[in-house]
Amino acid sequence: MFTIPFREFTSLFKSIRSIIIIAVLFGVTIGAAKIISNFQTQLQELGIGDDAYAGALMALLLFAAPLFVTSLAHSVVNKEMASRTVRFLATKTSRANIILGKFLGNLFFWAICLFLALLLIIPFSNTFHIVEWFQMVVFVSYFIGLAVFLSTIFRSPSLTMFLGITISIALQVLGLWSLATENVFVKMIGYITPYFYYSQDQTYMSYIVVLFTLIFVILSLLIFRKRDL
Amino acid sequence: MSALTTRNLTKKFGKKTVVNGIDLTVDKSMIFGFLGKNGAGKSTFINMITGLMEPTDGSFEILGHMGKGIRDIQHRIGVLPDYSSFYDDLTALDHLKYFSKVMKLSTPKKEMIDTLERVGLEDAIQVKAKNFSFGMKKKLGIAQAIINKPDILFLDEPTSGVDANSILSIHTLINEIAATGTTIFLTSHNLDEVEKLCDEVAIMNNGTIQTKGNMEQLRAHYKRDITLYIKHSSILEGSREKMGKDLSVWVNDVNLGDTLSEILIEEEKFIPEINKIFVINNINVYRLEVDEPSLEEIFLNLNEQKDSA
Repeated sequence: MFTIPFREFTSLFKSIRSIIIIAVLFGVTIGAAKIISNFQTQLQELGIGDDAYAGALMALLLFAAPLFVTSLAHSVVNKEMASRTVRFLATKTSRANIILGKFLGNLFFWAICLFLALLLIIPFSNTFHIVEWFQMVVFVSYFIGLAVFLSTIFRSPSLTMFLGITISIALQVLGLWSLATENVFVKMIGYITPYFYYSQDQTYMSYIVVLFTLIFVILSLLIFRKRDL
Repeated sequence: MSALTTRNLTKKFGKKTVVNGIDLTVDKSMIFGFLGKNGAGKSTFINMITGLMEPTDGSFEILGHMGKGIRDIQHRIGVLPDYSSFYDDLTALDHLKYFSKVMKLSTPKKEMIDTLERVGLEDAIQVKAKNFSFGMKKKLGIAQAIINKPDILFLDEPTSGVDANSILSIHTLINEIAATGTTIFLTSHNLDEVEKLCDEVAIMNNGTIQTKGNMEQLRAHYKRDITLYIKHSSILEGSREKMGKDLSVWVNDVNLGDTLSEILIEEEKFIPEINKIFVINNINVYRLEVDEPSLEEIFLNLNEQKDSA
């Protein structure tokens, strides 16, 4: 059950791209934590306090996660179709296992990276932000689901790289724009991006994003089940 | 009981019908050969029955399970798909470990090494697949197909691109696997290979099966005159004419040479009569060679018939 996720997970740690992303993630996290610690008194007065440490990481994710995730996961399914290694897998296990394995492997990778990033700021914040960690994982799961979906539909990894980055940027721009505009069309699009739900005061609203992730994964399962390999 | 049955199995890509309503039954524990030119539809047919492609129409049954339930018996099926690649970062042994785990098998490491040795990869057990030649990849493909000791094994062009020595060892391996009762379904361009290995053969052309049967049946169906090459002692000029007359009862054409004669006959059963005529005429027969139609001739003949039609 966990063979495909584990392989996906370990192979992500082997790529140069992921190592660079981990370095940026950890570097920015520690850098931001150091800067924030210099303004701790002012932040306490504003009532933000320790939340600022995890907040900095969340801000980084809100702006960079779409690109980070897409650049790593854009070819999560179709690279195996292009190399035809998927033919070995598909004759040995169910297609649902392949899609779920790919999704979970990527999700574990990001969950571990974000967990480690939050561990790195413990010396500054003196606490582990478990709720924020969960929110971050839910946020990246949206883009992992999207990447899995795109790479199930399109066979060409270079096309999904282009589409993934384009759609991620578009979602980000429209999502953030929808928060500050009265344009009905943009607002409607905002509802299908995670940004709307992460801008709400109630924490539970961010968990609604899980539904979008599920939709992406279920659609991928349905499409992949019928795909000629 | 049959290992594989297909009913009206059809695959279309857009308007093009690649596999056209194939009805086929393959009995258990036999080596079944599937022959055809490039684009005949052989690989598409295998891809459908191994779950890699969705049939447009028709149904199939493997080991008593309907096609849609193939997931339940995946552990009993071995597949070497055509044009497959491997994970560059994994060694030959890593691949077998990975695929075993994917199939939820608890194959001991020693058994995996034995399998790699059986296919001739004993020197590449710890070599990463990115350094493999085409032939080595083919061998690893066979190894991964047999790691689960399948009841039915599908081999799509198992020896294409493999060196001559390795072909022989793969043939031996296929015979060994078949001897354990495994049904083997193989496609090949190599007619000699199919003729040598297979108990039964189907020839496919333009998405349909043109003919099916064992070699004897195919030869009988697509028979042509049998050519006899006879090496013998010298024929005296006086007896040449008489011999020609005697032979004409049994043969279609005769070319009596001084010590080597070529004779065309319709059926094998005439050979003793021909031999008798030589003996009666005091001619010693030193060697008699029978040239029957090979699978290649049958195959070419079928294609010629199709092309002329």
